[in-house]
Amino acid sequence: MDSLLVWMEGTAIATWVRESPSLWAYPTILALHSFGLAVVVGASTVVDARLLGFGRRLRPSALKGLFPIMWWAFALNAVSGWLLFMADATRKSAQPIFYVKLGCIAIAIACVALIGRRIPASGDVTPGQGRVLAIVSLLCWTGAITAGRFMAYL
Amino acid sequence: MTTAGKFLTGTTAGLILAALVGVAPAVAHHSSTPFYDATKKAEVQGTVTKFLIRNPHSFLYFDETTPQGKVEWQIELGTAASLTRTGWTAETLKPGTAIKVSGQPSRAEGSHGMCCARITRPDGSPIMQGGRLTEEQQPPR
Repeated sequence: MDSLLVWMEGTAIATWVRESPSLWAYPTILALHSFGLAVVVGASTVVDARLLGFGRRLRPSALKGLFPIMWWAFALNAVSGWLLFMADATRKSAQPIFYVKLGCIAIAIACVALIGRRIPASGDVTPGQGRVLAIVSLLCWTGAITAGRFMAYL
Repeated sequence: MTTAGKFLTGTTAGLILAALVGVAPAVAHHSSTPFYDATKKAEVQGTVTKFLIRNPHSFLYFDETTPQGKVEWQIELGTAASLTRTGWTAETLKPGTAIKVSGQPSRAEGSHGMCCARITRPDGSPIMQGGRLTEEQQPPR
């Protein structure tokens, strides 16, 4: 495992991300990671808020259009996240808080998928439907962002 | 299964797998992000051993010679982009360069780290001068 991490860190792409003085390397990838985060968590929060009863005038089926955007943004973050991980694989993989972040993301993204399936193509949701998923999703996104930020300090 | 469903299943499985496999402790490494004490000041002289210009933080390593032997110091510096932009490259502080460093010491007990450092030659004269660099240009934090 260690040798795999060391190899990963030594690849040309990981070295470029870590050591290039170019703004297109680490700074841009980190910016893309923040951008993807804003879109996924932003859109997910809108859906969660609606399921919790906010903005009742909005038809839940209208929110279905947000899901493809969330998946694309999540893909962007999976790729940018991998690049950032590779650049510092030995250290990040040794940080317990990193696994807290990954776990939170896994649960939150599962909630997004389950919620996406439960929203009807037309008509309203019954009051309270998807409430638990919405709460878990919000909590896990909060946890994922906090854990991600704390990686720099723990 | 829908496309989103397949995407989800694959990604979730990958994330969980990564979490499980990765729990095994990775290589020994210097303390993760160090914390520094801004109320204290350390001033040390030594010889450069390594200058790692990288993101998100660069590190300068140097050896201090003490009666008890060599002590390795680790100085946390700015990003690769900011160092390079201000003229600090691997050539600026080659291994073997004699330097004097003053900065905020690490709080971690038994460690020899500094941040926010001012780096000069042992006599206090600047490392870099002239050109588009202002005199006594210090490395970005």
